[in-house]
Parts: sequence; C-alpha cells; structure tokens
Amino acid sequence: MKAHQASGIERHAILLNAAARVSRSIASILDLNLLLNRTVDIICDEFKFYYAGVFLVDESGSWAVLAAGRGEPGRAMLAEGHKLHIGGNSMVGAAIANREARIALDVGAEAVHFKNPHLLRTRSEMALPLIAGDEVIGALTVQSELEAAFKEEDIAALQTMADQLAVAIANARLHRQNQTLLRQAERRARLLRAANTVGREATSILDIDRLLPRMVDIVVEAYGFYYAGVFLVDESGEWAVLRAGYGEAGKAMLAEGHKLQVGGNSMIGTCIRLGEARIALDVGEERVHFKNPHLPHTRSEMALPLIFGGKVLGAITIQSKEERAFSPDDITTLQTMADHLAVAVQNAYTLEALQAAHAELLRTKVYEALTVATTEAIHWIGNKAMPITMTIARLQEDLASGQPDLDSLKEDLALIAESAQTILEVKEQLIGQAREQKPRPVLLADVLQAAIRQSQVEAVESEIAANAAYVIADSTQLTRVLVNLLRNASEAGAKQITVRARTGSEKGSVRITVADNGAGMDAEILAKCWSPFYTTKPGRHGLGLPAALHVITQLQGQISIKSQAGKGTTVEILLPAANPLLGDLGKTPNILLIDDDDEWARFFLKTIRTAERADRPSEKADLILLDEFAEGFEPALKAIQKAGLLGKTIVVTAALDVDRLTRLLRLGVKDVKLKPYSPAEIPALWEK
Amino acid sequence: MTTVLLVDDEKLVLRSLEKTLLRAGFEVLTAGDCLSGWETFRANADRIDIAILDLNMPGFDGLPQAEAGLGLLKKVADVRPNLPVIILTAYDEVGKAREAVEGGARAYFVKGREQGLVELIGQILNR
Repeated sequence: MKAHQASGIERHAILLNAAARVSRSIASILDLNLLLNRTVDIICDEFKFYYAGVFLVDESGSWAVLAAGRGEPGRAMLAEGHKLHIGGNSMVGAAIANREARIALDVGAEAVHFKNPHLLRTRSEMALPLIAGDEVIGALTVQSELEAAFKEEDIAALQTMADQLAVAIANARLHRQNQTLLRQAERRARLLRAANTVGREATSILDIDRLLPRMVDIVVEAYGFYYAGVFLVDESGEWAVLRAGYGEAGKAMLAEGHKLQVGGNSMIGTCIRLGEARIALDVGEERVHFKNPHLPHTRSEMALPLIFGGKVLGAITIQSKEERAFSPDDITTLQTMADHLAVAVQNAYTLEALQAAHAELLRTKVYEALTVATTEAIHWIGNKAMPITMTIARLQEDLASGQPDLDSLKEDLALIAESAQTILEVKEQLIGQAREQKPRPVLLADVLQAAIRQSQVEAVESEIAANAAYVIADSTQLTRVLVNLLRNASEAGAKQITVRARTGSEKGSVRITVADNGAGMDAEILAKCWSPFYTTKPGRHGLGLPAALHVITQLQGQISIKSQAGKGTTVEILLPAANPLLGDLGKTPNILLIDDDDEWARFFLKTIRTAERADRPSEKADLILLDEFAEGFEPALKAIQKAGLLGKTIVVTAALDVDRLTRLLRLGVKDVKLKPYSPAEIPALWEK
Repeated sequence: MTTVLLVDDEKLVLRSLEKTLLRAGFEVLTAGDCLSGWETFRANADRIDIAILDLNMPGFDGLPQAEAGLGLLKKVADVRPNLPVIILTAYDEVGKAREAVEGGARAYFVKGREQGLVELIGQILNR
C-alpha cells in the first residue's frame, strides 16, 4: 500500500494527488446516486481503502442515513436501511454533530467505534463531515484494514476532498431540483394544452356521447392519471349515472350501467350534493371511498363538480395510482376543465331541448297544414255546391206551384250545371297530376310557348340559356305547371312576367324562374299558398300551386316561391337537365310542317331533310304536321279541312288534353300526338 | 219595397241568392267585389234598407284579400251607422262572427241555409 509504505512529504503528496483525482472525477457527475456510488469506488481505488461510505442527513436532521457504500458490505447495509444517530456514539454521528473529522486508529481499542458486523476487518477509520456552505449535509467514512492507517496531517488532504464532494452533492441535489422544476413546468404546459383542447372541443362537439369519452381520454393521457370518468345526474335528480369512463375499467362499468346515489357515501355522490370538489389522497384510508373492483390500484381520487348556472349537472372523477397525486395546480386546471365541460354539457342539453321543441313545432305545423287544407277543401266544396242546393230548393218550389216559369227553370238548371262543372274541373286538377308521367328530354322553349298560348297570358318575356334548353320532364304536366304559374302571375296584376332558364348550381340541373311584378303575397298568404283549396281568388280552385308542387316533385325536381306584398312573386323550379336522344331515322317521308318559325320547328327541319315549313297545306306532302300551339292553328286547321287533307294531318302538341284531342279526332284528323323533342322520337310520328 | 245590397264575388252564389231574394219580394242591388259594392252603395245610400256582404272577396284594389268584406262594412258604417248589415261566409267560425259584429254588423250568416237568410232579413227589419 503506497499510502501506508511511503512517509512524510512524499506520502502527503500522494494523498493530495489522489484527493485531486477524486475531486476531478466526481465534479461533473450530476446524478446524485451515480455521484455517491462512483465516489465510494474512486476513493477506495485511489487510496487503497478497504471501505468507503457516504451518509446524508435526513429531513428530520436527527439521522445520518447511508446513501452509498463500497462493495458487498455497502450493498448489505443499504438494504438494511443503515442509519446512525447524529450526535450519538458513532464516529459518523460525532463528525456531523461536531462538524469535524474524527480518526480512530486500531479501532478495537477506540470507545467511539461499534463493531460493524459487515466490516469486521476494519482497523482504522476516519469520518469526515460533508459541509456545503454552512450546512452539514452528511459525512464520509473511510476505513482501512491497517492499524494506524491515518495520521492527523492526512485529515486536511481528505477533508479538502470531502469538501469537494459536499459541493458536488449540493450541485447534484440542485440539479435534481431543477430537473423536478423543469418537469413540473413541462407538465404544467401539457396540462394547459389539455385544458385548451378540452375548452375547444367542448365548444365544438355538441353530442354528449362523443364529447365525454374525448374528455376522459384527454384528462387521463395529458396528466398521466390512472382513470377518469364523467357522471351526469339523471332526470330524477337522484342518481349520478356514469356516461364516460377511461379504458377497460370504464367500458366494464358503462356496460354494468354504473351509477351512484346523489348525496350517498361515494365521493361523486357527496361532490354533487355539495357542489364542491372532493379530494381523497391515499384513498385506502379515506372514509368516503369504497374500493372499486374495476380500479384496484387507485391511491388518490378527486371528484370535481360540473356546475352550470348554479346547477350541478354531474361530476368528473379522476384517479391516480400514486398517493398524494394531485398538486394545487392540478386541481385548479382540472376544475377549469370541469367548468368548460359543464358548459358543453349544458349546451348539449339545450340543443336536445331545441331539437325536441323543433320536432314538436314540426308536428304542429303539419297538423296545422292538414287542418288548413281540410278547412279550405270544405270551404271550397261548400261554396261550389251551395248554388246547387239553393237552386234545387227553388226548382222544387216552382214545380210545386204548378205554374213554373220556364226561363227561371232554365236558368236554375244552368246554375246547377255550372256548379257541377266547376267541381268536376277540380277533380281533373287533383287526379290529372296523379296520372302516370312519362319523363323524357323536353325542349323547354317549346313547352313554355305552349303554356303561354294556352294560358293566353301576355307580356311574357323568356330567356333560355343554350345549355339549359332541355330538361327531363313530362311535357303535358310541365305545360300544366307553367300555365298555372303564368295565370297566377297574371291574376296578381303583373304587367311583366319573365321566365328564365339557366343551368342550376347543382350539377346536371336546370333552374327555371318565373318572376312577376304583380301584387305579391304577404307572409300569411305565402305560408298557406301550397295548401290545396286555399285561394284568395274568386272562381279559382286553389289547386294551381299544390298541383305544381306535386308534378315537380314527381319529376325529382324542386319548387320554391318567394314573394313580397306589393313587389311581386318569383317561383323557382329545379329540374334535371337533359340532352336530346339520338337515333337512326332511316327513310323519311315528305313532310309539310305548319308551324311558327320557332325553336322546335328549326330543330325538326334540321333533323328531317325531307320536311319543309309552310303556313298553308299542300297536297304534295306525304304527311302534314300541324302544331296545336302555333299562332295560326285555327285558320290552318280550317284550310286543311277545306282542302280535304285532314286524313294525312297529324296535330302535334306539347300538352295532350282529352277534350281537345276528342274534338280534333271527331273533326277527322289522322292523329294527335305528343311532339318529339329528340331525333330518336321522330319516326314514331309516321310509324304505326 | 225593401231594398237589399248584395255583394259576393262568387258569380253563381250571387245569382242564386239574388233570385231567392227577388222571389221573396225584395229589390236586390248586386255587386261582385268591394269596389263595385262600395260604388253601388254610394249611388243608392239613401234607399238601401239592408246590406248583405261576403267576408272573403277581392278588396278595394281588386286584388284578393282575406276578410275584405269587413273593410267594406267599415266604410258603409261610416256613412250609415245604423244600416243593418249581414256578413256572409262559408266559415262557421265564432272568432270571425264576433269580429264582424264588433265591426258594426247586425248579424252573421253562414252560407248554405239560404231560406234562413230570408227569415233573418225579415227578423232584423221588423225588429
């Protein structure tokens, strides 16, 4: 052993060198445990000691607790929790109490030393106080197998090293403290982020059953807790029902329908009754807590109330596996989250209530609409049928008198006939719409022209965009709709009616607007305008708009109406757009088309090369086509009849009407057919 | 002879009521909307003994209007506060009846029982 064999100045120099090396080695170690363990090893290696150990003063200041010990003896004593009383008989206790080094040589004879069963070979021992600043933080013990291993003059060299060690320990402790602060700061930042997320989601998720599970996930994951769950008070106010729970435990409890009595012994029950947070640290000893088999590891639990506007809506439970898990900061941030959550729950409740109210309102509206429709129908039928009953009463009187006035009788019969006819017309309006529709690509311009002619409404301006020329519709029904709309506009006193067609904003749709500058409707009339039999006009059925609604809906379209009293009305119709169907025309007959020079005529003449347009009939043609809604229809029909050409004349029309069809067939025309709007439909005109 | 002003926009109703009233021995002045009803009234204000006005018909602007008859009633009452007026309607509705009577109408008559109308006129005029 160098330290033992050398002597004098040389020996002292060796000690100082070793002390310096130890100091250098330990100065940079910031981890306290690593520092102490390395220190005892380095000291033994450098000084060739048998054993070295470091004691640190505990929090009470009464005990020096072994923090590191060399080799097997060290490990054994650490495992035993070896500690020495400060100021007691031990060398370490004395060194700390007196703030000075103690040396015991030939230890067996020294009174202050107690034989340590783990260090039986010790013959010399030195205890050096570890002093950082003014504070004794512990002691270093070094032991040798040699008798008289230490001299008084060695103390200074070793004490220098002990002082360095004390500084290093203080640094390591400071570092640990800094680390803790840093971790706390990071945690706080994470919690603030979580609180922020909760706040954001609480305002954006209105569905409680989606919101609450998100909340428990965020709380557990951001804080690293064991479990979180949300209870909401049920309608009876007696039970707090679990609505979301974290992980498998939560799933199991939700499946069981877990609920706790409000005001009962549970923390949640108490928290809700009092509207106050309940915190149980080391839950095992807390009276209000009952062991939950799904959460066996809970050691701390907190219940925070969800309060909105003074009302406790429920509570959130947060549980940790650690004792004393909740810092004041945690409680503050979690209560803030709970407050956000309470607002969200209240919002969701409000929304549910609103939806229920809306559904109720809708039911009321439907009922109201039915009532209005029924009332209007009764009113209408009553009005129309009334002249019949009145007139019949008069007729009976007249006949009973024995001297009936023939003119009066005739007039009364005419009154009855007219009343009955009006009622029959309604039947057609009602049932006509229900007839099967034959949707096909229809040339909008032609249908509109037919509607204008049929309604005899003037001052109609139309503007149909090229890419909105065709819609999928039944031309007869669509004409009927447009006739109804034009008549409505005209009867509202419109001086100008504008019909526009454009491609709709929805792909593949055409938007048709019929706008007028007539009287318009006030809100009350507008609200009832779709009701059957509702009308403000004398002699009308109140079926125009309901029929239009039915037709357009059947065609997979939409119809809406905007109106302002005194300003006018705009009806908007959306219909599927279409393209004309192409087909093989084969050989075509020579056709004379009697029609205006309009869009449909141009389409027809462009498609059929063997056709020509004229105003008068001609014998040369194989087939005469006459447009029912052409300007000069009646004169042309007379001319055809006069020329004896009715047999090769087909009347083409946008809208078939049974009465008109009967009249024309009786007159002797070959046929009355729907107009073809696509090349593919044209051959059907002459094919059987 | 008793002169009756009859205003109703339903052509057939108007004619049928007119015939019934004529047969009962009244002189009948007819009109098909508020405006012509008002004009007929003004031209004959002194000799009309009773007015029978429909509740729902075109208003003074000629455009359809709910309860336009009450407007005509008000104007008639301004000129002749004591003229008996019967309001005609197809609605058997207490609210509207009360409104008409508050507006100065003597009675309210639900269409469909026309023979009763002749009796009602008799009762009002003989009171």
